[in-house]
Amino acid sequence: MSVEITIDASAGIRQFRGVTLPAAPSSHADAALVLAARDGDRAAFGALYTRYSCMVHGLLLARVPAPEVADLVQDVFLQAMRRLHTLREPAAFGGWLAMIARNRATDFFRRSTDTEELPEEIPGRSGAASHRAEALAVLEVIKSLPEAYRETLILRLVEGLTGPEIAERTGLTAASVRVNLHRGMKQLRERLGVADTPPADATKDLQDGSTGHE
Amino acid sequence: MNDNYLWDKSGKPDPEVERLENLLGTLREDLPAPAFEPPVHRFPLRWWQPLPRFAAIAATLLLVVSATLLLRFEQRAFWVVTRVEGAPRVASRPISDHGRLRLGEWLVTDSASRAVIDVGLIGEVEVKPDSRVQLLSANASDHRLALQQGAIFARIWAPPRLFSVQTPSANAIDMGCVYRLEVDAAGASLLHVETGLVTLERNGRESLVPAGAICLTRPGAGPGTPYYEDAPEKLKQTLAQLDSLLGAPQGNDQGSMNVRAGALDTVLAESRKRDALTLWHLLTRVAPEEKNRIYDRMAQLVPPPAGVTREGILSGNVAMRDAWADQLGIGSMTWWRFFWKKTVPLLGK
Repeated sequence: MSVEITIDASAGIRQFRGVTLPAAPSSHADAALVLAARDGDRAAFGALYTRYSCMVHGLLLARVPAPEVADLVQDVFLQAMRRLHTLREPAAFGGWLAMIARNRATDFFRRSTDTEELPEEIPGRSGAASHRAEALAVLEVIKSLPEAYRETLILRLVEGLTGPEIAERTGLTAASVRVNLHRGMKQLRERLGVADTPPADATKDLQDGSTGHE
Repeated sequence: MNDNYLWDKSGKPDPEVERLENLLGTLREDLPAPAFEPPVHRFPLRWWQPLPRFAAIAATLLLVVSATLLLRFEQRAFWVVTRVEGAPRVASRPISDHGRLRLGEWLVTDSASRAVIDVGLIGEVEVKPDSRVQLLSANASDHRLALQQGAIFARIWAPPRLFSVQTPSANAIDMGCVYRLEVDAAGASLLHVETGLVTLERNGRESLVPAGAICLTRPGAGPGTPYYEDAPEKLKQTLAQLDSLLGAPQGNDQGSMNVRAGALDTVLAESRKRDALTLWHLLTRVAPEEKNRIYDRMAQLVPPPAGVTREGILSGNVAMRDAWADQLGIGSMTWWRFFWKKTVPLLGK
């Protein structure tokens, strides 16, 4: 099978079989890539990896110790590759992959013996080291939030995805993501001791269930 | 502060969000893609490979048919009652070691007495102290008690729906299991299932309560929303609040809408994978705009199987709801529905 894929390092996949794809993933584009990958097309699976690796990284980071995440991301994609034939609705790839990632994180704790996570750097040694230590400390605060808020905040603040991108990749509605972001950020500010004064219009949007940007 | 910036990075940046982005962005990793090997295609099944599965299904059906035929011949107008301690009374008369509970009669225990009722050939019910139980039906297809007040502990080994208990707030229908059912003076009931599955039904509303789950039901409000005993405390407390809000007429004032929205937020945020059971029930009990959010969270915890769509679930498609329930680890709803529609009615003929 001949496949044409153009991958732009900054924006992800742009062309597939001569069709220009949107910068953000869409379920139709996913379906085409999944079908090709299922037929053994490595480039198509590579394109799916490019699109979804940050989502998987974020979901794992919300659950397992940071130093373990990189290896587990690879595991998740290898599992997905092996089980791709069981995915009946190719357009639902994002949600399906997210579930594999969540299950892999659960397995991680089931299999691992009790070990104490050592800090990656000793704070105070250098500017970069203390910066990373602070980042890990804030990450721990985020990980103490309820799961729904934790995932969404990490995808937004660590992985740099926007709310609409999070909704598209995880299969959640934009309204759910927006509520999770708003309430999660509110709880995070409280726990970090930062004042929170939401604008009146944002609160109204949330109460109306409106996303305001769709 | 600008909420739009948090949402889609538009508008004036929120300094705190921007600071966190810069700080936490250092945890991002550009990971190289692993070396993917194309998946190995599975060979199609040989003609003989499904045979063991068919044999197992046939054996199960044979067992069920044999059990139902046996039960058809078991017709009695009374059930045997055995005194365990104290002085239980049947039809206002104290029983010695054994007695008979006839149709319409009451078995009453005081604070110092207990008794066990043999439910025909299909199980037994221990009646706890301070309880009032009435025998409503004792035929082959309908073994039914009423629990007006107090507590019972039931062990049933029959096919589903042959045994049920009426309470002032709902009917508890056994699906082959062990459970405890309590009713207080106001008629509210608390069901705690140890093994198997019990359904609570009243006025067209149904709650499935599997092993390890609890369901609280208030009179007039229909079966409550079940939850697992080991669910987070915050979820349990908020669910009780949400259940009472769902049972009351929805207030149009902003205050009560905010309380309800907040309660739903907490239930969604606190839910674990196992608590998808609770969310599945809420899907049919909330306002249309709330269903979307429940669908999202549930899909995150337990992805809907092939053929189950958001539109179908939101419009109340029963087959899709059952197919999703099949993924919850409480047994196959599709099978139960088939069983009680096709097999149980044969007993009454």
